[in-house]
Amino acid sequence: MNDRNPLTNIIECLIFVSKTPLTIQEISEFLKDFEKEEITDALGELEEQWDGMGRSFILSNIAGGYQFRTRPEFSEYIVEFNKEIKKFRLSKAALEVLAIVAYKQPVTKIEVEKIRGVDCSSSVSMLLERRFIEISGRKDVPGKPFLYRTTDLFLETFGLRNLKDLPTVKEIEKIKEDMGEPG
Amino acid sequence: MEDPQSAYSVRLEMFSGPLDLLLHLIKKSEVDIYDIPIAEITEQYLEYLDFLKTVNLEVVGEYMSMAAELGYIKSRMLLPRIKDEDEEEEEDPREELVRRLLEYERYRDAADELGGMEILGKDVFLAGYDRKEMFGEPTEETEFVKFDLWALVDTFSRIYSDREKAETEDIFLSSQTYSVEERRDQIVEIVRREKEVFFEDLFEGDKNRMKLVVTFISILELLKDGILDVFQPSFEEPIKIILRQ
Repeated sequence: MNDRNPLTNIIECLIFVSKTPLTIQEISEFLKDFEKEEITDALGELEEQWDGMGRSFILSNIAGGYQFRTRPEFSEYIVEFNKEIKKFRLSKAALEVLAIVAYKQPVTKIEVEKIRGVDCSSSVSMLLERRFIEISGRKDVPGKPFLYRTTDLFLETFGLRNLKDLPTVKEIEKIKEDMGEPG
Repeated sequence: MEDPQSAYSVRLEMFSGPLDLLLHLIKKSEVDIYDIPIAEITEQYLEYLDFLKTVNLEVVGEYMSMAAELGYIKSRMLLPRIKDEDEEEEEDPREELVRRLLEYERYRDAADELGGMEILGKDVFLAGYDRKEMFGEPTEETEFVKFDLWALVDTFSRIYSDREKAETEDIFLSSQTYSVEERRDQIVEIVRREKEVFFEDLFEGDKNRMKLVVTFISILELLKDGILDVFQPSFEEPIKIILRQ
């Protein structure tokens, strides 16, 4: 441990005390004396070290930043110990709306409803309230409807690095091509 | 108090809509999605809507417009195909519907996968994890049910029509009223005691249609509220009801 790169240790403690995933950008703005490349290397090293230690928590690369998270196999102990933790709940309908917004963003409510074939108002307002989606602007069509996109909290909650990290994104891209939609 | 009409529509919201129902019927009938027997599927679809209405689940507009669309496709299928001189071949009247079904199915699968990710606050946690801070106060939200609710309707529909023949208590002579609230408590009690119960067995004591419906609605509500969970080891095996962890 003693011959460890001091930079690695500095970054590690910054991540440890950070409330949100710490991005390379944030770290390099603070540690101006180091090259971005050095920081990236140190982060890679840290990630590997924590993963290799067989600990109950690991360093995860989430929403473009780094954060310590527990391993999923211990969830039942954590929930049991912290009775006030209400387990994450999302309805099937809300999850479908979230998936459509995630893959098709920016997207209007009407476009989402066209795919699902049902009214999605309550799911959309619930997802807005939970800050999984947000308004990104208005579509330039009659009525100027709101456009929705997913938030960083969405990435953080579902453990995604970025939107390219979404499951089966390639498959969905392919449907878009098949249907002659602009990717 | 919630007015009964809106309570029903909430219940139907547990189901994912007419496209989801059509996909369920296509899967159940083991037919090819690219060659849907429209007459057969339309008939099944309408039977479903009838049944949902019978048990007081409000069939919302979207289900009705899909019924109309199916009827239209069916009628176009019956017409002889006239080859236009300009067009090489006329479009299959089912094409647009199939496209929508496939598109919806992809996103439905994507939603399933999303629900299976390592979710913060469910599978993984942060140091000093504070749910309130992260998500705000928990809101009333229905449970993510991975289970195919239409299969539950299938089973209930069978119980309902079987029981109809052997109706043992005349609903008009019975002075008892049935409340969903009471029935909910009874069901939770039974499941708590037995650990797991066959879905069918929960209807055992129901001697008339009204009671059957009350039990069914109670189970739907308990699923929605995340109190009960559905468990089916495989597609062929009977559905079991368990307490949600």
